Amino acid sequence: MNLRRQLLLVSLLTLVLPWAGCQFIRETETALREGQQRMLSGTAQAIADSLSQFPSEFLAAGTDGTFRDSQIFGHSLVNEPFIDGYIDDWSLSEESIRTLPGNEGAIRFSFGVFGQYVYLFVEARDSTVIYAAAPSAAGDAFFEHIDLLSIDAVGTRSEFTFRPEAPGALFGQRLVEGEVKEESRIQAHWQDTPSGYRLEARIPRQLLGVFLGLSVTNTRSASSPGITRSSYQGSTPGRFITTSPILTSAVNGYAQSDLRLIVTDRAGWRLAQAGQLGDTRGGGAEAGDLGWMHRAYNALLEQGDDAVLAEPHPSGREQQAYLRRALEAEAASAWFRSAQSGRAVIAVARPIWSGNVQTGALVLQQGTDAILSLTNKSLGRLINFTLIATLGVGLVLLGYASWLSLRVRRLSAAAERALDEDATQLALPSANASDEIGDLSRSFSQVLRQLGNYNEYLRTLASKLSHELRTPLTIVKSSLENLEHEPLTDDARQYTARARDGAARLQKILSAMSEASRVEELMQNAEPEAIDIHDALQSATAAYAGAWPERRFRFEASMDVAPFSGSPEMIMQMLDKLVDNAIGFSGKQDEIVISLETKGDQYRLSVANPGPPLPDRMRTQLFDSMVSVREGPGYEHLGLGLYIAMLIAKGHGGTIRAENTHEGVVFHIYLPINQTENNRA
Amino acid sequence: MPRKIAIVEDEAAIRENYAAAFRREGYSVDLYDARKPAIDAFEARLPDLVVIDINLRDDVEGGFELCRRLRAMSADLPIIFLTARDSEFDAVSGLRLGADDYLTKDISMPHLMARVAALFRRMEAMQRPEAKENRINRGDLEIDTDRMTVRWKDQAVALTVTEFWMMHALARYPGHVKNRQQLMDAAQAVLDDNTITSHIKRIRRKFVAIDPDFKAIETAYGMGYRWLSE
Repeated sequence: MNLRRQLLLVSLLTLVLPWAGCQFIRETETALREGQQRMLSGTAQAIADSLSQFPSEFLAAGTDGTFRDSQIFGHSLVNEPFIDGYIDDWSLSEESIRTLPGNEGAIRFSFGVFGQYVYLFVEARDSTVIYAAAPSAAGDAFFEHIDLLSIDAVGTRSEFTFRPEAPGALFGQRLVEGEVKEESRIQAHWQDTPSGYRLEARIPRQLLGVFLGLSVTNTRSASSPGITRSSYQGSTPGRFITTSPILTSAVNGYAQSDLRLIVTDRAGWRLAQAGQLGDTRGGGAEAGDLGWMHRAYNALLEQGDDAVLAEPHPSGREQQAYLRRALEAEAASAWFRSAQSGRAVIAVARPIWSGNVQTGALVLQQGTDAILSLTNKSLGRLINFTLIATLGVGLVLLGYASWLSLRVRRLSAAAERALDEDATQLALPSANASDEIGDLSRSFSQVLRQLGNYNEYLRTLASKLSHELRTPLTIVKSSLENLEHEPLTDDARQYTARARDGAARLQKILSAMSEASRVEELMQNAEPEAIDIHDALQSATAAYAGAWPERRFRFEASMDVAPFSGSPEMIMQMLDKLVDNAIGFSGKQDEIVISLETKGDQYRLSVANPGPPLPDRMRTQLFDSMVSVREGPGYEHLGLGLYIAMLIAKGHGGTIRAENTHEGVVFHIYLPINQTENNRA
Repeated sequence: MPRKIAIVEDEAAIRENYAAAFRREGYSVDLYDARKPAIDAFEARLPDLVVIDINLRDDVEGGFELCRRLRAMSADLPIIFLTARDSEFDAVSGLRLGADDYLTKDISMPHLMARVAALFRRMEAMQRPEAKENRINRGDLEIDTDRMTVRWKDQAVALTVTEFWMMHALARYPGHVKNRQQLMDAAQAVLDDNTITSHIKRIRRKFVAIDPDFKAIETAYGMGYRWLSE
């Protein structure tokens, strides 16, 4: 992984910023919410205390306040319904309608309260609607009828019945000791439907007591009694609960915008409600615009319950968990959030006491835009700033990394070039920089300088050594030569012969060692002559073929004449070294190809031979003094041949390169064509 | 009366070994290990031939100084440099001071003896009248093998013994390529490629000094050299 990628990866760490920001927003939101909740709790406690002065509004006489299925809730109606058999004008939701299991399907019914009237709606499925024959003809005939049983606070039972003789408007009837008397104060409307019938009725409030029960009798034929379904079991119907006007007016005094108060009795029935929350259901358009932000909310912020759950329950009975806790005499709170608008609703519930008896509970709900707008704005800003910061940091780091890696690459390229070209005094880039790359550059320079010194030392080592060894060698040789003129035994002669042999070899090595310095000297003093390299190579190839009959030599050229200004002897010596090298590495009958081409403004003189490839580790040192890739005991190979070839190429302003080919090895010498002009100039 | 050879050499072992060899050949030998005693002795009496090392102990260029003094004393006293210094620069400097030959200590004893003998022969020949039968004429070139002199277009070309022998080997059979080994044998020396190249160059330069159009010594690439007679 390169430096740029590494730093880009590091820049991803800036993404921790939004995380931290989100944590902060979350904390803030929670703190704000809790603060508001505390405040609301205080208010709720005060209101609950003030409501304890109306115990009679909570508990009707003779009831213990516990919930029973038979209890009936009279919904407060917003408008006065028209008695026409239709429930549409009640403005109630479907959930507000209760059901009784009828023998032909569910019987739906609902009670409503508007002003001094109680409204009743019943819808039943009935395939055979049997009407009462005549008002007076009460006998053993059977027909459809709907009955109400009411018991007032002192235990007086009142029974009312609806017995239609035909669809349309009718009056309710009162049963007094088995007698049916028309009660004109009770208006009703009976309507047939394809599947059965509907009844809508209006009963004055004062006719009904504390308990109220509904019975629906489905009659199959006039000759047999129908099956009766009731909202109660036994003889006593359930409590009839309606909104308390006193409590309503009491809590209305506390109503504020975005604050909702709900008072329930101990069973959770809603006795009073005041105030409205803002739009907690969330506008569709807004949600579309801010969709991604709300998704971010949902992902980042603590989840509350869905705000829809905070709405008063349509059935009239509140069953939220926090409220249930309050009904068990415990202060409780909850909060809700609209998933779409992100708006929060905080709800607290407080028990209402009357002396030592809990009479009900108060629910206070507050919708809050403050938290929303705060978190909304913070989140938006946070996201924007973070994006910009991350992008900025990423770009800066990328640029910085590019710059750094550019410097490092430049340095490494320069160092490689210096190594390749043996230019150890080359000024490396960033050498004056005060940072670590500058240090690196200076260290590199130092290493290169030392390497240069070392190479220089190696270069002169050979000639110095040969020079120093020459005198003792002369002593040995001259002594041996003198010794041969002395009378010696045959054995002794043999030994001197061996000693001379050794000395001769030593001398050969010494002259090979000093050869390089002699070449350098010659190169300095050489006066360039105009020569034709093509001609020289051609004739030399012929000479090599004569000298090494067991090898094949081939000369290739891309031109006929190759004028060049240089020292022919030196060029030939360079070629000798390369050919010598090629012969050393190739086998018998191998073909050594000497070629000459024009490459741009250079001649490329190549000597190629089949054979083992050059080891990679030697590639750069190949042309150094006393470096040999050759194995074996050949004493003449001091690793000076290619070094001398390099010296000669360099002396002519050229370069030398070695390459592995798929068959073997090729050495290229590049010589500048325009050297003639240069020398003349 | 044996010929007297003076050896000026700081290395005692070499000095004594050479002395022994020369004595075996019948020469009388005087040995000096520094410039001062040598000069003193030569001022009293000149030897017949002097072998000088350049580096005389701390006297790094003492040999050169000695050569200059000797040449001033006598124009035709044979002087041979025998030294461990094999650089071209030293060789050129030595020969410019008038030495008759510049040899490195690689040279074998028999080769050295041959050179000394040749120098003495030349001295003798110089004292005799010129003999036509020892001359080789190749166009503008005239070689006197006895006196070891070469003339080009009637002008003397001053060659050292080594150079003369190489020149002689080349010009004897014009047009024939003499390879390095043949030239080495002719020069009675073991020389490396570069030394031969240097010698050839020096010979060419000496001819060119007389005749700028001199091109008679041709390089046969990869083989050697040949004398071109027009």
